[in-house]
Amino acid sequence: MSYATTEQTKKLNLTKTLPFHLLIFALLMLLWEMINRLGIADDLVAPRPTDIVMAMADIFFIDQTVWHHLASTFAKALLGAFIGTLIGMGLAITAVLNETFRKYIKPWIILMEATPRIAVGPIFVALLGFGMSSAVALAALVAFFGPFVNTYQGLMDVDHEEEELFRSLGASKFQTFRKLRLPTAMPLISAGWKLAAASAFSGALVAEFIQASEGMGVLISQYVTMLTMHYAFAALLSVTLFGYILFKIMEYVDYRIIFWRDDQLMYSISEKKRNKMRAPA
Amino acid sequence: MYRQLRGGERMIIEAKKNKESASSDSGAIVIAAQNLSKKFGEHVTALDGANFEIKAGEFISLVGPSGCGKSTMLRLVAGLIEKTTGEMIVNGEVVSKPRTDVGMMFQKAVLLDWRTALENVLLPIEIRRKITQEDKQQAIDALDLVGLKGFEFHFPKQLSGGMQQRVALARLVLTGAKIMLMDEPFGALDEFTRERLNVELLRIIGELSATTLFVTHNIQEAIFLADRVMVMTPRPGRIAKVIDVGLKKPRDISIQTSHEFNVLVEQVRDVFGEH
Amino acid sequence: MKIVSGIVSFLKYALSFIIVLGTWELYAAYGGLNELFLPRPSKIGLKLYDMFIETGMIYYHFFVTLLEMAIGFLIGVTIGVSLAVAAAFSPRFRRYIAPYAVVFNVTPGIAVLPLIIAWFGFGWSSKIALATLVCFFPPFINTLTGLLKSDDEAIELFQTLGATQSQYFWKQQLPNALPEIFAGLKLAITTALLGTIVAQFGSASEGVGILMQRFAFRLDMAGSFASLVTMSIMGLMVFTLAEFLDRHIVFWRNLDGLERVSRQRAKKG
Repeated sequence: MSYATTEQTKKLNLTKTLPFHLLIFALLMLLWEMINRLGIADDLVAPRPTDIVMAMADIFFIDQTVWHHLASTFAKALLGAFIGTLIGMGLAITAVLNETFRKYIKPWIILMEATPRIAVGPIFVALLGFGMSSAVALAALVAFFGPFVNTYQGLMDVDHEEEELFRSLGASKFQTFRKLRLPTAMPLISAGWKLAAASAFSGALVAEFIQASEGMGVLISQYVTMLTMHYAFAALLSVTLFGYILFKIMEYVDYRIIFWRDDQLMYSISEKKRNKMRAPA
Repeated sequence: MYRQLRGGERMIIEAKKNKESASSDSGAIVIAAQNLSKKFGEHVTALDGANFEIKAGEFISLVGPSGCGKSTMLRLVAGLIEKTTGEMIVNGEVVSKPRTDVGMMFQKAVLLDWRTALENVLLPIEIRRKITQEDKQQAIDALDLVGLKGFEFHFPKQLSGGMQQRVALARLVLTGAKIMLMDEPFGALDEFTRERLNVELLRIIGELSATTLFVTHNIQEAIFLADRVMVMTPRPGRIAKVIDVGLKKPRDISIQTSHEFNVLVEQVRDVFGEH
Repeated sequence: MKIVSGIVSFLKYALSFIIVLGTWELYAAYGGLNELFLPRPSKIGLKLYDMFIETGMIYYHFFVTLLEMAIGFLIGVTIGVSLAVAAAFSPRFRRYIAPYAVVFNVTPGIAVLPLIIAWFGFGWSSKIALATLVCFFPPFINTLTGLLKSDDEAIELFQTLGATQSQYFWKQQLPNALPEIFAGLKLAITTALLGTIVAQFGSASEGVGILMQRFAFRLDMAGSFASLVTMSIMGLMVFTLAEFLDRHIVFWRNLDGLERVSRQRAKKG
């Protein structure tokens, strides 16, 4: 998964022409199928779409192998993302509130930004073994940076005049934090969560590739080793599919938390609050 | 004692020469609208049946509240949007596409952030042909004319809002266009800067003998600058009244407190009093 | 004066490192640290000395990795930017590829690694291929959104100046998009490095990634941490280069750049 924001992908303007896209997709699949059947490309590089579909049916419904591995990878990724987010946000909040801490942590952050953190994978696997812990640890390490940077930036980037307002109202530092900084920072913070989720997946998968007992990374590797490429594609598609579902869920949560970004939702919540006031309690 | 001509002065002398050779055209009608209307879709009539004639060298202010069609009118003259019905004629031709014999200024200076003031001013020439040393000198002179001598190599972000608009004006001068279309160019500036720029604008336009259409929602500004004021009303947008500003040019800022000036302000306000 | 302030700020940065490394070393020296997990800094330092100065074995791996990354980056950026330019100019093309771009965005590029190894083998090309795959998207999406940013008044200005579509593209649209394009390029180069290193895990004979993995699996922690430090150095080099290019090409993003270039242009006259 990569780092494009929702606004950016929206520019790709997808929704209106669904039947059109389905048609194009069908044509592409037909072309692919023919390329394979005519022998232009072999089963290694381009396994038949029909084979892939059968493989998917097999791993999901008949053999049901994939659920187990999906669960494993998702668990590692989500747990890692959670831990990474907690650490990242914690460090960010501390840095925002404490100036000395901020100064001392800065060089380390620059160092961490430049180092490919995912490269620590082999060290974790060697030290923590083949099980969950190495994957979760790597996922957490990779995931923590996004929430850290975003939370820090979001909290620091406060509107000067709004801050002055709070000061003039006599608000305590904590009140200002809770009622001004935090809500203002929410868009960036939730973007950080999405980054964490995306990176955590990469982290979990890499740990699995290096050495693991179960997980989608292991599954895909196995299928490739056995040269059953249609199964490998099927496994890959499953990861994509479930990753997409997760992505959409996070988008929805994001949408509801930061309701003032979308006009329609904002009006409906405004309406609800108005009605609550009118109705005698 | 011999004093070498400053760039701005060179420009003025050039313009005077052009003015003399073109003096026979001073009575000519430069912009004419006949029953001009513009609708956006079914329901929005931005402009309804505008009729007017503008002579060479005139300064016309278009004043009115939001939605009265003044920006639409400007863009119809420039050829940036198409009319729905009626006729718009500029320099004897019917307007059918964006015209290059007009120069525009906007509420934002619309300068290219990655170019120096000088390079920004040279943009119109760059688009037409290769830049010569002479062009560069002309651009430097134009910047001097608008009072920005010494700032040629500054970037837009290093300049204040008022200075950015001056660069835009200098660029406008370099297009060589004799018709200037200005869409609230000083709207985003503070009062002091705006007043100063109003005075400078009159000076520069006067020396270049250009025909100007100036859109604003500020009544004082509209009257101060113009020979005639077209007062526009919204929904649908139309020219409600055309007021002759009899005051002589060159004008001083102090004229804004005079009795004649205030009579004119009242006349403009009266147009809206009925609504 | 400038030199002194430079040294002072460098020392401020260094202080943080000195404190942490110092504490770490002391903790290990007093036997509080399980050196199997976390070797002491001095051991790591010695290993680094060995790799860089004494045997010089690291240089080959270093440059192989850099080369694989650079080629992957160049290919990825070329594809990404070209597709973006095509998509910016043709709404039809944009519609065709939109769903595939979204799917691509959601697929973890890393998951494709086994397939890439099956297709490209154990040599350099599989590393380049993965690097290309993971780094192609940011330049694509950033170039696209950068080019699609439309400033109505800029368009009107260019129209009244009688500019052609091509002139508008080169003089306004493209420079206007540069800040965003470069942001995408910076992201891409860091990702390309990441992709190269990951691709080396378990499928290479040379490169910093496989070096580190070998050390780790032999439980030579000093070696693997030293490799990690090497990767940091690579990352910093790459990062600094990207920042430098960004600050010099997209100079108008901040005031210092503006002042610097303004003075340069004034001198040229």
